[in-house]
Amino acid sequence: MSNATLTLSPWETEVKPTTPLDGHDPSMLISMRNIWKTYQMGTESVHALHGVSFDIPRGEYIAIIGPSGSGKSTLMNLIGCLDTPSQGEYWLNGKNVSEMDDDELARIRNQEVGFVFQTFNLLARATALHNVELPLIYGGIGAAQRHEMAKKALTAVELTDRMMHRPNELSGGQRQRVAIARALVNRPSILLADEPTGALDSHTSNEIMDLFERLHSEGNTIIVVTHEHDIAARAHRVVSIRDGLIEKDERIK
Amino acid sequence: MRIIRSDIYENLKMALSTLRANKLRSFLTVFGVVIGIITVMLIASIISGIDVSVKNEVESFGTRSIYISKFDPGIRIGRMSREERMRKELTYDDAVALQALPAVELSVPFLDITNNWFGGKLMVSGGGKTSAQVALQGTLPEFEKAGTQIISEGRFFTQTENDTNQEVCVVGSKVADDFFKLGSPVGQTIKIGTQEFRVVGSLVEREQFLIGGGSDDQNNVIYVPFNVAQKLKPNADDIYILAVAKPGLMEEAKDQVRDMLRIRRQVPFAANDNFGLQTSESILDNFRSITAMMAVAMVVISSVGLMVGGIGVMNIMLVSVTERTREIGVRKAIGAKRSDIMWQFLIEAATLTGLGGIVGLSIGWGLTLLLRLLLPSYVPLWAPVGGLIASIGIGLIFGIWPAWKAARLDPIESLRYE
Repeated sequence: MSNATLTLSPWETEVKPTTPLDGHDPSMLISMRNIWKTYQMGTESVHALHGVSFDIPRGEYIAIIGPSGSGKSTLMNLIGCLDTPSQGEYWLNGKNVSEMDDDELARIRNQEVGFVFQTFNLLARATALHNVELPLIYGGIGAAQRHEMAKKALTAVELTDRMMHRPNELSGGQRQRVAIARALVNRPSILLADEPTGALDSHTSNEIMDLFERLHSEGNTIIVVTHEHDIAARAHRVVSIRDGLIEKDERIK
Repeated sequence: MRIIRSDIYENLKMALSTLRANKLRSFLTVFGVVIGIITVMLIASIISGIDVSVKNEVESFGTRSIYISKFDPGIRIGRMSREERMRKELTYDDAVALQALPAVELSVPFLDITNNWFGGKLMVSGGGKTSAQVALQGTLPEFEKAGTQIISEGRFFTQTENDTNQEVCVVGSKVADDFFKLGSPVGQTIKIGTQEFRVVGSLVEREQFLIGGGSDDQNNVIYVPFNVAQKLKPNADDIYILAVAKPGLMEEAKDQVRDMLRIRRQVPFAANDNFGLQTSESILDNFRSITAMMAVAMVVISSVGLMVGGIGVMNIMLVSVTERTREIGVRKAIGAKRSDIMWQFLIEAATLTGLGGIVGLSIGWGLTLLLRLLLPSYVPLWAPVGGLIASIGIGLIFGIWPAWKAARLDPIESLRYE
């Protein structure tokens, strides 16, 4: 990947919706329509997102990029079903997520979303294997099958020989690979990574990004949220967020 | 709700690993629970011990025996009333009168000469040893027929020995052991006050409740003929009477004894008795009131312990929830429902207190083994079972609030928590 030569065009001020505002597209894995997210700060209403609409087809590798305070994190939380929009519709894999309650959202997160965090967020006292099994426990899968699935996921991220290690016995890159295995073990619709290389050195970052690329080539839908342009440049499509709006949505590969 | 067995098992494993990571903190937290359960174990075993002892005591007391004394039996709290202090003594003639009652098989007077007029004791010496702790009772040979004391060696003194003021005596097992360690006491001489007495018999050891020692020890006793006792201490008037009912006539005997004594002691109609009757039944009642008090003490002490433990657990669980905010966020992000988080912390709290309960049970068990050296006791099954259930229950109850706090955490905020 020759991302070093890639330059992003300067931010534009004019906002053009890239997708129609009415009706979701059932062929899309993710279909967001006119999403608003409003926070109440005392007496003042702060709009973190105002009217965001876009679609993500199955199997896409997309980066969401934007400076801090752009609404990027809010959008990620909505995509990851950690939160519901104040207004608008969010369809994920044919389900209208925007109207779900807490427990339904938990189920969707368990089944449809695989999270990868900047700081890995593994359980310190649990082995790599147990960490990977965790989503399966919440998915109600029996112990034997759970073991098999977790082992397979760890093998897929090339950690076969580290299954019984605890996070503090693993390097940063290995920890992030455990986290990726955990994210993928339930075969989710989307892999949602939040600054996945933010805590890694550049060499390890490259390894992780290579892994993402491989996972994408195996058919996974990957969404990377980042503020680093060279990380975003590895994606096939880049959505730029600024001031709670999609500033730019471009296919770069 | 989806609570499958593997969830509970997983939660239990997680809880154990969390507790292992904080051993000291966990132990200090459940200390109250440990104390509470130890209390349950100990007092349950003491109560059982009292039960066993009382049964033995009642057996040796005789189910047909009625002890009559000037005062009401039982534990006295506070000062005696004027009426009580003014009560007149029972007499030898009272005993004779009771003997004539149709439902009474036997009536024997006892003259207690343990204390002299000034409250001092008659010294007893023999075999090179002197003691003032021996109970001295004057009685009649019929006492043997009551069956409450059994001769182990020698014989009881006879009516003739009583009538002719022979200085003979029958000694309790403790007296025999104390004064005549080597060989038989029978035929030996023992000095009571200034008089020398020939030991004609010794008694089988009597079962008794909580060895008090001294003159309360029912085996630390010397029986002498009634007449001799009167001579030994001429001003003695401290008499009590043992009446034995005819078989199957216990209630009748009690009524007849009461009526006879009311007449003889001129108790006005409708006034209370100015004497006390004690039967095996009333002894049982007495001990029942003791065990009831201990049961109340057990409930109070153990519930204070369990409450303190419970509050400790709640506190530590709240700390734990705060410490693990991020973990909760991660769990929620990967699909844990509110109920999953709730169960995780509830099971952790219950594991904590349950382990405290097990520690309490083990320590309590050890202590009851020690207790067994003093008291024939056992641990009733309800004590460990109830104790374990109570300790786990405490964890579940006091874990609710922290668990609910954890379950309610917002995943986004929790993930951001440092």
